[in-house]
Amino acid sequence: MITVNCPVCGAEGDETDFHYGGQAHVRRPATTDAANVTDEEQRDYLFIRHNPKGLHFERWRCDRGCGKWFHAARDTVSLDFKAYYGITELPPDEIIAQAKGPWADYFKERMKAKK
Amino acid sequence: MADLHFESALAHRIAPDTTSISIREISERGMIDLRGNTADKKFMSAAKSALGVELPKAPRTSTTFGDVQVLWLSTDQWLILTGRARVTALLGDLRKSLGTIFSLAVDVSDMRSIIRLEGDGVRETLMKGSTLDLISEDYAPGTVRRMRFAEIAALLHVVEQNMIDIYVFRSYADYAWEFLMKAARKGSEVKLFPNS
Amino acid sequence: MASKPYRLAQGGSLIDRSRKVTFSFDGKDVSGYAGDTLASAVLASGQKLFGRSFKYHRPRGLVGLGSEEMNALIGVGQGNKHEPNLRATQIEIFEGLNAESQNRWPSLKYDIGAINSKFSRFLPGGFYYKTFMWPRSFWKHVYEPFIRKAAGLGKAPEGRDTDTYEHMHIHADLIVIGAGIAGLAAAEAAALSGAKVLLCDENPVLGGIADLTAGKIDGECVEDYAKAAATRLNAMPNVHVLSRTTVVGHFHQNYLMAFERVGDHDPAILASGAPKHRLWKIRAHHVIVATGALERPIAFANNDRPNIMLASAVRGMIGRYGVTPGNTGIVFTNNDDAYLTAFALKKAGINVRVVDSRSRSDGDLVKRAIADGIDVSLGSVISAVEGTLEVKAVKIAAYRKGQGRVITERRFECDFIAMSGGWNPALHLWCHNGGKIHFDDTLQSFRPLSHSDAITAIGAANGTMGVADTLAEAHGAGEAAAKSVLKKAKAVKATKFKIEEPIRGALESMWFAPATGLYNEGNKHFIDFQNDVTAADLELAQREGYESIEHTKRYTTFGMATDQGKTSNINGLGVLSEATGKTIPEIGTTTFRPPYTPYSFGSIAGAHTGALFLPIRQTPIFNWHKSHGATFEPVGQWRRAYTYSQVGEDKHASITREILCVRNKVGMLDASTLGKIEIKGPDAAEFLDRIYTNTFSTLKVGRCRYGLMMNELGFLTDDGVTVRLADDHFLMHTTSGGADRIAAWLEEWLQTEWTNYKVYVTPVTEQWAQFAIAGPKARDVLTKLDPDFDISNEALPHMSFKQGNIAGYPIRLYRISFSGELSYEVATPANFGQGLWNAIMEAGEEFGLTAYGTEALHVLRAEKGYIVIGDETDGTTTPIDVGMDGMVSKKKPDFIGKRSLEQSFLKGPNRKQLVGLLTEEPNDVLPDGAYAVRVLKDKPPMEMIGQVTSTYMSPTLGRSIAMALIENGRDRMGEVLSFPLEGGKVMKATITGTVFYDKEGARING
Repeated sequence: MITVNCPVCGAEGDETDFHYGGQAHVRRPATTDAANVTDEEQRDYLFIRHNPKGLHFERWRCDRGCGKWFHAARDTVSLDFKAYYGITELPPDEIIAQAKGPWADYFKERMKAKK
Repeated sequence: MADLHFESALAHRIAPDTTSISIREISERGMIDLRGNTADKKFMSAAKSALGVELPKAPRTSTTFGDVQVLWLSTDQWLILTGRARVTALLGDLRKSLGTIFSLAVDVSDMRSIIRLEGDGVRETLMKGSTLDLISEDYAPGTVRRMRFAEIAALLHVVEQNMIDIYVFRSYADYAWEFLMKAARKGSEVKLFPNS
Repeated sequence: MASKPYRLAQGGSLIDRSRKVTFSFDGKDVSGYAGDTLASAVLASGQKLFGRSFKYHRPRGLVGLGSEEMNALIGVGQGNKHEPNLRATQIEIFEGLNAESQNRWPSLKYDIGAINSKFSRFLPGGFYYKTFMWPRSFWKHVYEPFIRKAAGLGKAPEGRDTDTYEHMHIHADLIVIGAGIAGLAAAEAAALSGAKVLLCDENPVLGGIADLTAGKIDGECVEDYAKAAATRLNAMPNVHVLSRTTVVGHFHQNYLMAFERVGDHDPAILASGAPKHRLWKIRAHHVIVATGALERPIAFANNDRPNIMLASAVRGMIGRYGVTPGNTGIVFTNNDDAYLTAFALKKAGINVRVVDSRSRSDGDLVKRAIADGIDVSLGSVISAVEGTLEVKAVKIAAYRKGQGRVITERRFECDFIAMSGGWNPALHLWCHNGGKIHFDDTLQSFRPLSHSDAITAIGAANGTMGVADTLAEAHGAGEAAAKSVLKKAKAVKATKFKIEEPIRGALESMWFAPATGLYNEGNKHFIDFQNDVTAADLELAQREGYESIEHTKRYTTFGMATDQGKTSNINGLGVLSEATGKTIPEIGTTTFRPPYTPYSFGSIAGAHTGALFLPIRQTPIFNWHKSHGATFEPVGQWRRAYTYSQVGEDKHASITREILCVRNKVGMLDASTLGKIEIKGPDAAEFLDRIYTNTFSTLKVGRCRYGLMMNELGFLTDDGVTVRLADDHFLMHTTSGGADRIAAWLEEWLQTEWTNYKVYVTPVTEQWAQFAIAGPKARDVLTKLDPDFDISNEALPHMSFKQGNIAGYPIRLYRISFSGELSYEVATPANFGQGLWNAIMEAGEEFGLTAYGTEALHVLRAEKGYIVIGDETDGTTTPIDVGMDGMVSKKKPDFIGKRSLEQSFLKGPNRKQLVGLLTEEPNDVLPDGAYAVRVLKDKPPMEMIGQVTSTYMSPTLGRSIAMALIENGRDRMGEVLSFPLEGGKVMKATITGTVFYDKEGARING
């Protein structure tokens, strides 16, 4: 039973007070025209997830508190939370720097797009 | 309207004398759920002018003005309490004051049941069904907190040091009552840090 | 010998000789003193036999002093109050206690199962795997009943437990587990530093084994120091002490579970209303493990005979209870500590002789024993034990480390043995959440190494055995823990104690004592007493190729009994080490898992039994339903009225009556459980267009529209009617089960994806009591209730909405139908629900109004071919599958699930499609879920092409109807399908459309 801190309202509680919402930063393809989204892109959006040993990025909801969604960076080995950040935000730079594998690639791309 | 039949969720429940704290339903309270954006000054001042008091911005706090109390529920949501008789008028005032400002105010007077717990050991009684550290300083009078209580959702309002109101959704009132009867049973009292 | 030969004339720090307590053991009255355990009182009465072993039914006596006891498992209480498998050493006696031994028949002394022991050569390690594998059919009728009868522990209680149990939560800066001198010193240091400290100990009295420990602290015995420290801690404002409380598990982020035996020791406490057990759920910033160490038995031939005990247990029996196991004892040891037991025995006037496997020891205690004239045989082991039901004599053989055979031996008469193979730090809690350990050569045991949580091990649990070292370590750990947790910890000066303690000689490991006679001939060296695993079993497993310790464990069941290998673990590793020539660290150790000791199911359930087993949701009309003959149906956590059976009516009759009443007159349904969500904001309409498959931005104010919801996979998840209350304001209805889920779903999209939308969502399900009034007379009933607005067909047509008052009650009125009849849903604030229900019932009486339940509702909707999410859909069903293509917008740019619906496999051929079914025999009702097959054969396997999703006897049509999802169903109209059923029966049914009744839909507009 791990404890979670909501970065929106500051509530601390057992994980049962929160709702785990799967992997973070999954981007929904614009579906205005179905032809714009290939079957492969749609498959990746729906089903393809990272499963890292170590640093991972997740969505959580403060289910029994303010009801708000937020992002969390968490170590899947120690289960410790490394950072909390807003649901529309990217992780803090020092956390991005620690990302490995597909996550490192993902953030590199996002940062490039940002510039 | 006088002959309307009013029946709260726990109307059929009588508090027995087998509990170590006093437990009763408060059915005479009206409630309004209000949603709006705290960053919108127009919204904040419109709410204040109808309620007479600023909406609390700090998480888990409450404010009081006369017979109106405002409990913080979320960064954009509040529960406004007043007497049942006043709730329709207050909701009218609020809606009028808010006008076309982006917001949502709904009468939810019957949506939740309120159970008042009073006496020595209220906090420990609740800690039989809550993971929160209710005996800590975080739960001073005035504190409001949504929580998981005995497997259901509940809203906690610390009224006084030894007086706590628990808000549960109406359909769960009977379950919450049963749980409290068991948790507060005389002879089962727990005093945490007994010399404190 | 006196009448009570085993109760010493003096001594017993825990007993009160002025208070005699009588209790029953195996139907016999036994008396002891207040403060006795069942173990001490029974032993004092002269009885050495406490139980029979698990597999061989060997007679067994006490071994330990506390929770490490593995033999003396006792059942306490009778009937529904019976609790099996309690350790006799932890059962505190009280007047009227009723206890019985286990795993024996007909009596402890003459146990028929002991014949297993004669056949023990046929019950080797892994025998479950070897013996009972073939023939297969024998398992159920021969092997399993045999095993169940012959092996096993206590019996389950009979009937419902009437005691109460509860959970309790507590938060602390620091939890100290174990209140021996280490735990006490650490707790005190931390508490003085200002930390909030929780101190837990499994025993009734704090102090651990201070009373069994040699040495002086400031001139006082160790026990007195412990007593004083306990008194100080018990009075501190920032300390909570829990005795009789075992911390059974340590989990992530210092979450711990502790089991408190509140009322087991005193019926008066239970009678006062206290729970029998309390399960504590603890969250601590720091954990100090001060759980002490557990003494190891020695593996010598027939080391399981009654009255062979751990040396510390014998010492404890004398010191705490004034009880001796016998009159002549042998202390068998490989270390200095057991000499303390020899001193205690000598002081009590018991004949004692020490057998020490070490060739030499220069420790203070050994020297003192020799100086005191105790007969010490160094370089010796016990090579044989005579006696079955009790020890009668031993043979002592000369021994040098590693020697495998007996060369010379002498015989000595004795009636008990105190053994000590050294001490194992109690690492269990350290290891539960992944703590690392390493092997310590001095201890010949594992000790803590590192941990990823904020946790410290101290004292014997950390392998620190001396008093001075323990106190220094404990103080430092307590203070450090407080500092790490508190922003401002007070500095606490360490008390400088003057400590005297004996200098000890080194322990010498001895994992297997050679025995008289040929190897394994009548000799059993028990390693795991509780699961009857011997050294020979472990060696056999080794020879058979079980190299990994984890495999050996499962194959032999070594360490898998309820004591979790507390005393057996290291001895087993030692035997394997000698058998393989590997070191113990090379062999490794098995995983320690919670719980540390077994705890009751009652405590796990806590308050959640009976009415509190699951949260039950009640509608405002619940009590009316109950008093009007309703049976209830669970819908999620809701209890909905299923049907109202009147006197003389079975359910089938009442359902039929309810349906026909709706079709012919009028009925009323409590639909309060339907989800209701208010949605408001300038972007509300556009938001709903994205949520539903169909369009809501075109809906006019005051009108209702049925909507379908998909998830992103393109599968149906919910449906319901949404009303436009104002331009920017909607009220959404969801399914009863979907209310919370859909409200959360809407919030999720608003918060995480379409964050620019200005929309607020407030669930209001429970604000409203809502009833469906359906049937040709529905409007008549409403009219009679004096509505203050026009409800004529023109003013309030199908799929429209109005609010006002009826019978004085404020209402929202929706003209919607789930039955195909003229139908309204009326909603009023929940606390007016019962009043309005009564008023409608009264007004409806002259029109024949009856209440109908959810089963009638389902039949009515099935007659009309209306789908139910979860019946006609199974989480892989699209709107197209259920024939609702028309409700999937072709125009909207985007909505949830849109892209997925375009995937070839969801559009392609061979999807299962919703159709109606009419059985060839009108009275045949297809079973729910029955499979249609492509080709009917005599027996399976047959290829399945679809399944029945809803099936009822329709009273309206006087025949059965069903809906089914059938491969390409819509292209198969008129085809006859076969449904093979249980018992070789086959039903045949013709595929039809899904609407069975009123196909033109005229009634709804009536």
